[in-house]
Amino acid sequence: MLQLDNVSFWYPGAAVGVSDVSLEVRPGELVAVIGASGSGKTTLLNLLAGFLAPRQGRVVIDENDVSAMPPEKRDLGIVFQSYGLFPHMKAWENVAYPLKIRGVTAPERKKRAYEALVRVGMGNRSENGPRELSGGQQQRVALARALVFEPRGMLLDEPLSALDANLRVEMRDEILRVQRAAGIATLLVTHDQEEALSIADRVAVMRDGRLVQVAPPRELYDAPADEETARFVGEANLWRGSVVSSGKVKTPVGVLTCDTRGYRHGANVIVLVRPENVMPLIASSEKAPNAFAGSVEADRFLGSTRRLDLRVGDGSIRVETRIRNAIDRVTITPEAIRLLTPTNERQ
Amino acid sequence: MFLITVLYLVFLAAPILLLLLGSFGDSWSNTLLPQGFTWRWYLEIAGDPSFRRAFITSLQVVVATCALNVIVGLPLAYAIHSAAHRGVRFAARLAALMPVAAPELVLAFGFILVFSSDTLPWLGSFWLLVAAHLVLTLPYSVTTLLADMEQLRLGDFENVAASLGAGFLQRARDVTVPLLGASLTSSLLTVAALSIGEFQISNLISGFLSRTYPVTLLQAFYGATGFACAATVVLLVLAALASVASSLTARVTGGKAS
Repeated sequence: MLQLDNVSFWYPGAAVGVSDVSLEVRPGELVAVIGASGSGKTTLLNLLAGFLAPRQGRVVIDENDVSAMPPEKRDLGIVFQSYGLFPHMKAWENVAYPLKIRGVTAPERKKRAYEALVRVGMGNRSENGPRELSGGQQQRVALARALVFEPRGMLLDEPLSALDANLRVEMRDEILRVQRAAGIATLLVTHDQEEALSIADRVAVMRDGRLVQVAPPRELYDAPADEETARFVGEANLWRGSVVSSGKVKTPVGVLTCDTRGYRHGANVIVLVRPENVMPLIASSEKAPNAFAGSVEADRFLGSTRRLDLRVGDGSIRVETRIRNAIDRVTITPEAIRLLTPTNERQ
Repeated sequence: MFLITVLYLVFLAAPILLLLLGSFGDSWSNTLLPQGFTWRWYLEIAGDPSFRRAFITSLQVVVATCALNVIVGLPLAYAIHSAAHRGVRFAARLAALMPVAAPELVLAFGFILVFSSDTLPWLGSFWLLVAAHLVLTLPYSVTTLLADMEQLRLGDFENVAASLGAGFLQRARDVTVPLLGASLTSSLLTVAALSIGEFQISNLISGFLSRTYPVTLLQAFYGATGFACAATVVLLVLAALASVASSLTARVTGGKAS
């Protein structure tokens, strides 16, 4: 298990770093850390890896405090953004290197390196040097190298950012398959929220060096901790509003009927509605709750879906739908509406 | 433009060509080009004990300077490269590059002043000469190594090796030195080229028995022209060999990094 206990770190003379972060990655679990650049996610990875030492708090691996331990003693497999394959070694020599360090005999390490390469589908390229491999192939070799010595945990630092879109999806599945097969605690750092949502068991959102929310992908998407998280994770309609009576919230697009439990009359709220939960009304006579009519401001064709911005009242409603007909009326079911407390009014 | 280039090249090559011609010319006085052909001057140089001693001293100084550049320059470049603090990096770089900025004459006077005292009476010794060559050549080797360390992203590879369990010495053996091999060779050949041709400081601080080849060469100019030409050509060939080898290895390093 990988664990950070109230860890703080700041770079000398700089405001960036991480502040009082606690996070654990359980055996076999894949936790993705997401956040904008400068949010502290890479610092978090460097603290776990041992390239940085926490100024406060503890880093714990399998119940041992490793805060002061150098990286080479931590027994963690790391896949770096640039893969970091040694250019003077062949693919199998790269994979065999951690075994060489651990004193495994030459024939044994060649055998194990080859097996590890076969597991990532690179058995036929074991004699190639890194320069003869494509980005995706280098990634696979790096993955094999990070796992061959059966580390106590795996850290992935933006492992897919250098790959093109199609390959990224393929490698994402590959990473998940290999991680599941190894049953190893894994921390994935990424700026790509789709990547995080699609493969992580839990997602940790970082902002300004702090951990804002740690939750399973579905929960993070449906119930984000605050407005910024909602905006960062997926597309969102976010309207400022106020509770006008029980079950009614006034927003720039009109009054919405929804569950207002937990909010008193007059309270300021942020209303969150995911665009795919806004349903177009095709038959104009159709009765529906929270129905709004408006004019189309923008209409984007995205292949399988279509994203529209509908001008309604003083605001705009973003709709994501598969329907290709003309749309000027939409409905939002009360269950699809979530109220959030504005950031400046949070305790 | 073409004409200027040609003229410039002629201007550059003419003295070297004349030296070559002169070294094989039997006699050369009051004529534009030397007269006759002879190997005599080269044979005379080979037979001259002071030139032979100087030649051997020069080679010894080159080897010692190269060895010290590895022993001092590589760790120094590594320390500058991995210094966490920017200010430290800047100061170290400045200190290492200082000898390039300071005129050699100033350095030589410094050496004379310090090492002619009773406490440190080493002026004229072989090792002081090597030390002076080290001071002069270190900036070149450190700069080359530093540039290659950055270009090769050595720090990243070291982090990778550390994450795989390699300690400092294992990283140095398996990653740092192999990755820097070509760069080190290239910088040492530059050092060799500089050290072979160095005259100013060597002339001022070498002793009678520790004279390097260029210092002894000066005396050749008081003798026969052909002898002086042949002596210079020997030096030219040595320096050219080191420069060509250095450029070739630099190309290998450049190719590796790309």
